[in-house]
Amino acid sequence: MPAKSIKEEFAKGLWKENPIFRQLLGMCPTLAVTNAVINGLAMGLATAFVLVLSSLVVSFIKKIIPSQVRIASYIVIIATFVTVADRFLAAFLPPISKNLGPYVPLIVVNCIILGRQEAFSSKNTVRRSLIDALGMSLGFIIALLVLSSIREILGSGTFLGHQVLGSWFEPWIIMVLPPGAFITLGVLIALANIVEQKSRARR
Amino acid sequence: MTLSSRMILVLTSIGLLSGGFLSSVGLLTKEKIALNKQKEVKKAIIEVTPGTRLSQKLYEDEEEKLTIYAGFDEDGILVGYAIQTSAVGFQDEISFMLGTNTALTKINSLAILDQKETPGLGAKITDRESFLKYWENKDCSGSLSLRKPSVSSPEELSASEINTITGATISSEAVLDTVNSSLVKVRILKEEGKLKTEKENAR
Repeated sequence: MPAKSIKEEFAKGLWKENPIFRQLLGMCPTLAVTNAVINGLAMGLATAFVLVLSSLVVSFIKKIIPSQVRIASYIVIIATFVTVADRFLAAFLPPISKNLGPYVPLIVVNCIILGRQEAFSSKNTVRRSLIDALGMSLGFIIALLVLSSIREILGSGTFLGHQVLGSWFEPWIIMVLPPGAFITLGVLIALANIVEQKSRARR
Repeated sequence: MTLSSRMILVLTSIGLLSGGFLSSVGLLTKEKIALNKQKEVKKAIIEVTPGTRLSQKLYEDEEEKLTIYAGFDEDGILVGYAIQTSAVGFQDEISFMLGTNTALTKINSLAILDQKETPGLGAKITDRESFLKYWENKDCSGSLSLRKPSVSSPEELSASEINTITGATISSEAVLDTVNSSLVKVRILKEEGKLKTEKENAR
């Protein structure tokens, strides 16, 4: 595999290897907390914080970790940063911490994070791992924002808590419930596949 | 160094480092988190017992999850009681604060502190228009009852009737039943003289 440029390394997380639309990783938080934009954004930022710092640490100490205990080591490192994020939210942003509930501690088992350590940070330099983690995080945040915007607008008639649809609009309650998450995600992934196929056919 | 001793060494030091790091993060945020909880309770007390300048905890039963606060106005006169308790809702515990007058015959209002009910349905218990406004100025000298099917304005209800949220009977009922049962408990406590404020004790 030829080495990618730094720019490509960053951009692949946005579309080509987007963790949600292309890799279908981290579905649990994606489906569970995207009922409002603010929750999606907070989950995206918390995950980005954990992913970036874990990638930095793992790529930094990759040489001293024996491969037999690498997964255990990654999980301990990831869990440490997740706990920091959880305590920080509870201390400084209590309303958001309440909305996200158990999903903040559950970032530990988000496959995007462990997946990037195993597939990337453990084999690449600190600099490349940082760029990769930033790109993947941004791709994840964008995907959560798209999903939560659609669900909040249709499900509550609001965007970031502000009324955007008039009183004529009867909110589709199903959109803020779990089935709405599956339907929206399914439609979005179908769209992503269509776009990908079209661009491949053109090439 | 053999492989197994290296594995033990690496994993132990990662564990120790992250443990040490986390304990300092825990120490730094612990106070702030406790303070947030206190603030939330204080805000709710003022909300449910209007005119309160100062509040005092009179009684606490952790097993029964019942905490009673007294609210005093600027002259130090008792204006009412704030009763903090929790109900078993549809998903999880619903923790709330109920404000009454000094004779425990009238409910000023209700404030929900914590809940994990279904968004769009049961979660409406936190919504003033759908639920909380029907709790304002209710006669609780007897036990309260639920009006079902629900009506569209507080005027249509009798003094001791509470509106049901359409589609969330279980959540509405859970709150109502707990209000009724805790009012009975509080009345007994009051008769037993367990709700004396410091001023009355001094007299």
